[in-house]
Amino acid sequence: MKNILFSAVPKDAAWFDAVYITGRSTPISFKNNRIYSVNESENSGFGVRVNMDGKTGFSSTNDPSGVADTVRRAAATAPYGEVEKFKIPGGTVKGFDPHDSSIDLFDPKEEIAAAELFIRKIESAFPSINVDMSVSASAGSFRLINSQGVDLEYIDSLYSVSVSCSYVVKDGDKIDTWESVSALKPIDYNYLSDILINRIARGINREKLASGTYPVILPPSAAARFLGIIASGLNGQALWKGISPLAGKMGEKVFSDSLSLIDDPRIEGSPYTAPFDGEGINPSRRALINKGVVEGFIADLKYAERLGIDPTGNAARGYSSLPSPSFNGITMDPGSMSFNEIVKGIELGIVAEQFIGLGQSNTLNGDFSANLDLAFLVENGEIKGRLKDCMISGNVYDLMKGNIILSREMERKGSSLLPYICLDGVSFTA
Amino acid sequence: MNDKFFQTLEEGRKLISSAPCEYADIRLSLSEGTGISLSKDNIESVSSSDSVGGSVRILKNGAWGFSTFNDIGNLEKYFKAALRSAMMVNPAEKSLAAAGQGRRASFKTASIRPAESVTLDEKFELINSYNKILMGSEKIQTTRAIYRDVKTYYVYLNSEGSDLSFDKSYCGISLASVAKSGSLVQPFHESLSGYGGFELVEGKENAAENVLKTSLDLLDAESLPGGKYDVILDPKLCGVFIHEAFGHLSEADFVHENPRMRDIMKIGRDFGPEILNVYDEGDRPELSGYIPFDDEGMEPSSTALIKNGILSGRLHSRETAYKMNEEPTGNARAIGVMRQPIVRMTNTYIENGKSSKDEIFDAVDDGIYAVDVIGGQTNLEMFTFTAGYGYMVKNGKTGRMFKDIILSGNVFNTLKNIKMIGNDKKMFGGLGGCGKGGQSPLPVSFGGPHMLVSDVLIGGK
Repeated sequence: MKNILFSAVPKDAAWFDAVYITGRSTPISFKNNRIYSVNESENSGFGVRVNMDGKTGFSSTNDPSGVADTVRRAAATAPYGEVEKFKIPGGTVKGFDPHDSSIDLFDPKEEIAAAELFIRKIESAFPSINVDMSVSASAGSFRLINSQGVDLEYIDSLYSVSVSCSYVVKDGDKIDTWESVSALKPIDYNYLSDILINRIARGINREKLASGTYPVILPPSAAARFLGIIASGLNGQALWKGISPLAGKMGEKVFSDSLSLIDDPRIEGSPYTAPFDGEGINPSRRALINKGVVEGFIADLKYAERLGIDPTGNAARGYSSLPSPSFNGITMDPGSMSFNEIVKGIELGIVAEQFIGLGQSNTLNGDFSANLDLAFLVENGEIKGRLKDCMISGNVYDLMKGNIILSREMERKGSSLLPYICLDGVSFTA
Repeated sequence: MNDKFFQTLEEGRKLISSAPCEYADIRLSLSEGTGISLSKDNIESVSSSDSVGGSVRILKNGAWGFSTFNDIGNLEKYFKAALRSAMMVNPAEKSLAAAGQGRRASFKTASIRPAESVTLDEKFELINSYNKILMGSEKIQTTRAIYRDVKTYYVYLNSEGSDLSFDKSYCGISLASVAKSGSLVQPFHESLSGYGGFELVEGKENAAENVLKTSLDLLDAESLPGGKYDVILDPKLCGVFIHEAFGHLSEADFVHENPRMRDIMKIGRDFGPEILNVYDEGDRPELSGYIPFDDEGMEPSSTALIKNGILSGRLHSRETAYKMNEEPTGNARAIGVMRQPIVRMTNTYIENGKSSKDEIFDAVDDGIYAVDVIGGQTNLEMFTFTAGYGYMVKNGKTGRMFKDIILSGNVFNTLKNIKMIGNDKKMFGGLGGCGKGGQSPLPVSFGGPHMLVSDVLIGGK
């Protein structure tokens, strides 16, 4: 492939870079409490940028015999691009492979048997429940070749399990809830059944709360969605375009002292890591917000050059699209209180697990307004039953300026590692 | 590439005619497309790409095996992989699929100006001219103008003898302006798309002007206080409302193996007022959700979901139809050949009622007129849908403009609160689409007339 690539690039090209990505996976799906299908998936793709006279063209294909044509197409679209001044790197190193060879021990028959037992356990608590599940192992490779002499490949692996439960309490009154785990190799996920069973049991009893403003505790996966709104304001692309509320706020104290946000490419146990980004930059741990002060942001080569900073190693890249800035892994400094201590301190409030419609407000501005898909009342320091047919709304930037409490427990969900976050003064409408 | 594709197709015909199983299908696709993305003075990307893909799905002894691939020269290997996967499972309860009739047919999108006959220069100039309109004020901080066309040759074969092809062309634009005043950043966006050629996206200056104007107007709009309101929905929001509030609940895969849901979703149950009629129609070539055949080779149909307020039908795949002993409706769809078909909507709408738009406004003393759409989401029981903007309505007259109107409902109450249905139905598509089971975006369309709903929960301070 390398030879075809080099010979197809026009002689007068200023530079080029190409990625070749492959993947193989075996997802097993369970629907309505039973095995539904076993899948085998194999795919690969090739994407290339060619810069001619300062302008970049792009093309991609997943036809293994189509590399030369694709390079020529990329060169042909270059005149339509704009002049880009960034330089592609030459000194990329590969420190590790985000891969564990135990992924090869994945045995579909054993996984099916284990998943069936797992489903039986949830069923034994709620005989009429519907459980859908997916258990998957995948392995793949990412190869980057550029005109600066880089030709590096890393291999990756991913084991993931997701479980989704749907329980009809009575005529149409329904609890949907889910959990997932991800790792480099097969791991034990049986602890998820108790989490799901307890959450559903708590959701059966209904509570009421009058409209008003209350403290809201966001468990780590819910916290990730709210922090994502702020993180998108720290994306170099949004900053350069001037559509981030944090544009021009570098070095300013914008948030509560308790808020420190970090982009960490090596979160312990996370399978979502890589030795270099989609453009060949080696990533590093980066403080985004330090004790409320805006300290850093992320960029790919293009936006780093435009913003006048060093590249941060945050170029996400699939084969069929151009690189764009994306967080490697969001984490925070934990707080000092336990989740239980935070709950004990609340007279009247909410634990909000899941939302409907979050992210469909003006999120550029930090606004949110969402139906509480699954949430619980906190009364006199105790978690009670479910709050339903109600909404919470507000502005994430404003709420993160106020009194926020973080738990000392941290949980990894996907690529982030986060505590429970308690926001104060969230509007609740019922 | 084409030669290899057609060789694979021939091989597929042989493999499937002697498949040792209850049912098998092979899907193959070959596509190429152009994309242009502009942002204010910048050219974000200009690209031209192609892709190829395929899958084999086999039902053997009540278990599904599925394999996907892009290396189409090796079909037999993947056919065996799907068979091996199916045989790995010995399910206690077996999957079964309703039988269809083997069909042979070819379909092609009718285009006036096929996108492949238009030069990249002309595509660039068109989207560039819209982008200039989107930038038409000093208050515009940034814009995004996207042009996209995709031409796909899709072939479906199954063990019942079906041999179907769809030579489809999809073309669309997405237009956004982001206005800014002080620290307030205010986006607005519209997308237009459908099956056809370049003609679908030409002459859309009005759409760009409307996006620009609305984003600027919204800078001065206030946020609506939270509470319960009587709301007039415009035809676009009415469409998203019915897609979220009821469309997903009509998808039989949520129901067919869940005894409690089957009880709740009994045909004949009263869901809304007598004026309410809801349909899903996959057989409408002019709409974004059109399918000449579904991804299980079944013919699309017009399905009445609610007739005169009464639950009268639902959307099926072969498997859900068989399990529920109902007729298949041709609603098994996948976002591409590498994904398994699941039960999905196509073109879903609320049918016209008898009221005129004026009569609806005259009936509202104190309420909200909610216009345009940002999005929607549902858990089947509760749902949200977000308006682009809205206006106060007092004594039938519209007043102040509002932003941030996120409406929320519960299917068992909100449909019953529909008070009036207009007679000015319109349908809407766009480059986005619907998401379910990790498959997004699936092209669908939605629509309805102006409609009055009472007591709708809106979030806010």
